[in-house]
Amino acid sequence: MVVLKENNLLNSLSQMGVGLGAKNQAFELLKGLEFPTRKTEDWRYTSVKRILKKKYVQFNEADQVDLSNEIAPSLDAHNIILVNGVYSKELSDVNFPDEVLVDTFPNAMEEHVSLIHSTFNGIAKNNEEVFTALNTSYFHEGVFIHIPKKVKLEKPIHVIHVNTKSNVISNLRLLIVVDQFSEVSVVQSYASLNAIECLTNSVTEVFVKENAKVTLDKVQYEEPNNNLICTVQVDQKANSIFKINTATISGDFVRNGVNIDVDGENCTSEMNGLYMQKGIQHVDNHTKVSHLKPNCTSFELYKGVLRDKSTGVFNGKVIVAEDAQKIEAYQQNKNIILSREATMNAKPELEIFADDVKCSHGTTTGQFDEEALYYLQTRGLSKESAQALLMQAFADEVLDKVDSEVLRIWIKEKLG
Amino acid sequence: MLKVKNLHASVGDKEILKGLDIEVKAGEIHAVMGPNGSGKSTLSSVLAGRDEYEVTAGEVDYLGKELLELNPEERSWEGIFLAFQYPVEIPGVSNINFLKTAINERRKYFEQEPIAAKDFLKMVKEKSTLVELSDKLKNRSVNVGFSGGEKKRNEIFQMAMLEPKLSILDETDSGLDIDALRIVAHGVNTLKSKHNATILITHYQRLLDYIIPDFVHVLYDGRIIKTGGKELALELEEKGYDWLTKAKA
Repeated sequence: MVVLKENNLLNSLSQMGVGLGAKNQAFELLKGLEFPTRKTEDWRYTSVKRILKKKYVQFNEADQVDLSNEIAPSLDAHNIILVNGVYSKELSDVNFPDEVLVDTFPNAMEEHVSLIHSTFNGIAKNNEEVFTALNTSYFHEGVFIHIPKKVKLEKPIHVIHVNTKSNVISNLRLLIVVDQFSEVSVVQSYASLNAIECLTNSVTEVFVKENAKVTLDKVQYEEPNNNLICTVQVDQKANSIFKINTATISGDFVRNGVNIDVDGENCTSEMNGLYMQKGIQHVDNHTKVSHLKPNCTSFELYKGVLRDKSTGVFNGKVIVAEDAQKIEAYQQNKNIILSREATMNAKPELEIFADDVKCSHGTTTGQFDEEALYYLQTRGLSKESAQALLMQAFADEVLDKVDSEVLRIWIKEKLG
Repeated sequence: MLKVKNLHASVGDKEILKGLDIEVKAGEIHAVMGPNGSGKSTLSSVLAGRDEYEVTAGEVDYLGKELLELNPEERSWEGIFLAFQYPVEIPGVSNINFLKTAINERRKYFEQEPIAAKDFLKMVKEKSTLVELSDKLKNRSVNVGFSGGEKKRNEIFQMAMLEPKLSILDETDSGLDIDALRIVAHGVNTLKSKHNATILITHYQRLLDYIIPDFVHVLYDGRIIKTGGKELALELEEKGYDWLTKAKA
């Protein structure tokens, strides 16, 4: 049991004033919280020990970064750049059309104080989730994205986070509010440039209002030895569409939490994930979709390949509330294990309190299809290229969910 | 081209081939017939290089090479092709892309440049016409959503693309309606030349109405118990296998 204040992680952090009550509340709350252990149900297969024993440094000013390095996929997008956890105004796109607002919390507060107060930490307020509380207490200036009513932003907003120094701790906070009948695509890239042993604790809150459509693509490709905790909290109102795709390409310790509250009828929610692990990498995907209202559909597809001594966790929870009839929820998790020493823990969970629903889930963990390998070999594919082809086909099923072709190709190349 | 001598093969501890001999020369078509469980599919699997089969004795000479020393892809590069009885469905792997990779890997093996895109497309067009395979099927995932007949036509299409020296057709006629059978047979007959050879593994005489063999072999209990001309197949159709197997027993 590690009480937070006794841990050196907190000693490396200092609080920045943003003037949000929720921040101070979380700070107070933190004093009594503990880091999860293997006994904590949601962390049963993921030990945080390896990230807690390290020492970290917090940055409060944006460092320079040489953008001639390919730090992120070259999307035709509005780029928002954070260096070592700090928003860089210099490097970020500041001109947005149609009254779209993208700025730091302190700046956005000037114009949108009531909107921020009514939304910020509204869905992330999980008092028991220590990393979210930590993020709320210590995030720097954060980024606020507001898409007003009936606006379809043509280009995606690309939030690029890059660590340029080793042992950096950063608490990234992103709040996305998409008003009625609007549409936006947001990409979050997690990169590092010659930086190791960093800890990035990212929390993204998304409010998808009535008839709005939001896509969130997460691309995680920090160099090995880096640690990443990503939490995404989503609130969906009636007739809205939300899709999240998470590609975990590298990073030593990655924990992804996706929680969607579907609080309106006729919504579609989609969660997809792809992870390709090697070495001693550990990737944990925890998802939870709560169907609170009737007539909605959710789809979930997570696939992974584990090599060497890597370990993986998939925990997908689907909750259908008592009055949420006519829900269709489909969940699949498929894994290929290429080494005797790799481990996968997969756990689908359905909690259904309504009686007129259509739900399915399935999880498979195995090796390559031997029949398919042999077939391809008899056609003249070497075993290696037959495996590569099957691997690609396996990954493509998830990658095809990514709408941007540029992003899809980029992820494919990174996966090698 | 192919000389099989005293071939013994087992799966687990069960011996299936028990001293099989067969010789195939360029330009010839051989039919291997026999009742269920006689070892027909084992023969095709051993020749194609499937892992599960263990060869315990005998030798296979293919164009002067020890065939059993080669892995499945090397056998393919050297010109052996197996048309599967049950072609495998491979979701997400495009029929055309994998064939291009296959052709280029063979070219690499022979230290040749990759095939030009234009030549490849021309070849695809020509060979798919031969077995009446639609564009839709060519571009789909390998065998996924194909009917039984389409799968078999796809096997012959792949055979045409890979231009093998020795083709082994494992029960290619099973599950085919008469039209599909005609298309498949037309493909095989068109591809026949004095430089290549074919082994037809089959249960029924039906296929041999369309593809005329030079030799017919009867496989029973892991051995070839009789060899004859095309008329042997007709005799088998009429009398069944009993008169041969009983004589043997």
